Amino acid sequence: MVHKWTRRQFNTALAASVSLASVGLPRARAATGPVVVGTWGGDYQNLLQKYVADPLLAPKDVDVIYDTANDTVRKTKLMAEKRLPRGSMDIVALTASGSYEMWKNGTLEEIDANAIPNMKYVLPKLKTRYSVPHIYTGRVILYNPARIKVKPDSYAALWNPELAGHIGVIDIQYQTTIESAAMINGGGLNNYEPGKAKLLELKKMGVKVYPTNEAMAQALKTEECWMCIMWKARGVMWQNAGIPIEIANPKEGIVLYVSEMAMPKNAKNKDAAYAYLNAVLEPQPQREFAKNMGYNPTTSNAGLAADMAARIGFDRAIEERFMVQDQEYLAQNDPQLQEWWNKVFKA
Amino acid sequence: MITHRRTALALMLPATIMVLVFLAVPLLLLLRYSLNRFVPGQFMVEAFTLDNYAKCLTDPYYFAVLKTTLLMAIGVTVTCLVTGFPPALYLTRATPRFKAILILAVILPLFVGNAVRAAGWMVAFGQKGVFNYLLELIFPLSSPLTIMYTPGAVFVGIIAVNLPFVVLTLQSVLEGIDRSSEEAALSLGATPFEAWRLVTLPLAIPGVLAAAVLCFILTMNAYATPVLLGGPRFQMMAPVVANEVLNQNNWPLGASLSFMLMLVTLLLTAIANLVVVRRYSHKGCRESGKH
Repeated sequence: MVHKWTRRQFNTALAASVSLASVGLPRARAATGPVVVGTWGGDYQNLLQKYVADPLLAPKDVDVIYDTANDTVRKTKLMAEKRLPRGSMDIVALTASGSYEMWKNGTLEEIDANAIPNMKYVLPKLKTRYSVPHIYTGRVILYNPARIKVKPDSYAALWNPELAGHIGVIDIQYQTTIESAAMINGGGLNNYEPGKAKLLELKKMGVKVYPTNEAMAQALKTEECWMCIMWKARGVMWQNAGIPIEIANPKEGIVLYVSEMAMPKNAKNKDAAYAYLNAVLEPQPQREFAKNMGYNPTTSNAGLAADMAARIGFDRAIEERFMVQDQEYLAQNDPQLQEWWNKVFKA
Repeated sequence: MITHRRTALALMLPATIMVLVFLAVPLLLLLRYSLNRFVPGQFMVEAFTLDNYAKCLTDPYYFAVLKTTLLMAIGVTVTCLVTGFPPALYLTRATPRFKAILILAVILPLFVGNAVRAAGWMVAFGQKGVFNYLLELIFPLSSPLTIMYTPGAVFVGIIAVNLPFVVLTLQSVLEGIDRSSEEAALSLGATPFEAWRLVTLPLAIPGVLAAAVLCFILTMNAYATPVLLGGPRFQMMAPVVANEVLNQNNWPLGASLSFMLMLVTLLLTAIANLVVVRRYSHKGCRESGKH
C-alpha cells in the first residue's frame, strides 16, 4: 500500500527531519574553496605547497593561494584590515611573538581545537589559544671545531678574549642576541636590560655584525667568523651545506623559536582555514619540514626517524627545560631593544 | 584660442589625475600618519602630534644618518659629474656609428637592477672576492682587504648605478651646443682647457645642473646599495625609513623621517638651482660685457 502524503504532511516531515539532523550532531564543515595563506616565501612556501596544498587540500577542492611577504607586512595588514568585515587572508604565518602581538590587538580568532583533529597531538608546551604551532627549533651555539678546540657550553664562550675578532652576531637577530647576553649577565627572558652592558663588552672586543643569516653562513664558511648564536635548524642545514661547524647547547637553557599559523577574525573561508591548520599538523608534512629545513615537528605523531630526531632535536633532559620567550615583555620592549641595538650597539 | 586652451587642458588631465592619485594622495596619507603616535604593542594610534618630527630633529642618531646621507650624496654627485663629463663630451663628438655603440655601452648597465648589481659588487668585494684575489696576485703577502660593509663599497656601488644617468643627461645637453663657439675661442688664442672652462662648461650648465640634481636625488634615496654593500653599521636615510616601517612597524616615525628626507632633498636641490643659475647668468652678463 502506498501512503499518499499531503503537502502539509510533507512540509512538516521535512522540517522535523532537518531539525533532528541539526540537533546533537557536530557541525559539518564544508571545507572547500579558496584559502589565502599569508606566509614567508622561499623554501617554506614551496614545502607548504608540495606537502600540504597539493596532497592534502587539493583533493578536498581547497584551493590554496599564497600572500607572500615577511611577517611584519602581515602584521601591518592584519592591523589595517582589523575593522573590515572580511580580511584578505584566511591563514597567517607568524612567529610566536608576532601571533601573540596580533592576538593582544584583537585581530586573531580563538582557535576551536575541536575543529582541528590533529590538535590532540600538539606538544602541550607549544599550545596557545590563538594559534597552531607549525614547526619549532631551539637556540644554540655554532662553532668551528678546527679553530675552537674546547666545545663551548655557555653563551659566555663568545666573550672569550682569545676569540676576539672572530665572533659574529646577526643584525636581524638583535632580539635573541640581547636575550642571550642577558641570560649570562643576571637577566632573563623577562629582563633583557643586563644584556646591553654585556654586549657592549663584546663590541669593545671587535665583534662583527652580519646583516643576515645568509651573510653569517658565508662568514662561517670562509672561517672569517668562528662562533655565533643561531637556531639549531639553521645549524643543521649549514652542516648539510658543508659549512665547517659543530652545534653546542648552552647550559643557560634552550630558548625555542616557534613558527605558528593563526586565523584572522575576519577570515573569509574559516572552514577551509581549519582544514588547512589540520593539514599542516599531519605527520607527512611535519616530517618533510624536519627533513628539508631542520625544524622539529610540533606534534607527537610525526614519526620522525630516530637519527633525524637526534640530529635536529634535543635530548629529553633538555626538552624538559625548554624555555619559551616572554611574549608580553617582548611586545612592550621590542621597539626600545631594536632602537638600542641600532643607535648604541651598532653605532 | 579658447579651443586650443581646452585641448591643452584635456591633454594634461590624464597625467594630472595620475599624479594626484598615485603621488599626492599617498603623500597626504603619509603626512597624516606622521602625526600619529606609535605605542609598542599597539602599533599606530591616531593622534595629532609633532613628537615624531621633534624626535627626527633632536635625536643625534637621525641627525648623524642624515649627515652621512648628505655627505654620500654630495660626494657621489661631484665624482659622477667629474668622471661623467669627459665621456659625455667624447660621446657627443664621436662618429654616428661609434656613438650608437658607446651609448648602448652606457645604457647596458641600466638593464640590470640595482640590487642585482649590488649583489655583483658583493662577489667582487668579499674577502675572497675578485678584488682581493687580484690584490693577492700583485702583493702576495698582503692580507685580504675589508671592502664589504664599508662606506667605500657603498660609494663605489652608488657611483656605478648613477654614472650612466649622469653621462646620458650631460650628453643630451652637450649635443645641443654648437661646436663653432669653442672653435672660435680656440682661434682667438684660448687653450683647450680655457675654451672648455669659459665656453663649453657655461653653455652646458643646464645639463650639469640637471645631471647633478638627478644624481643627488638618486643618492639621497638610495636603498638597495647601502643595505647590501654598507652592511648593518652603515646607515643612510632610505634604509632607516624602511627599517622603521617594515621591521619596527613604527609608521609614524617612518613617515616623518620620509618627510624630513624629502624636505632636505627639495631644499638643497632648490638652493643649488638658485645658486648655479644666478652665478652663471651673472658671469654670462659679465663675460658678454667684457667683450
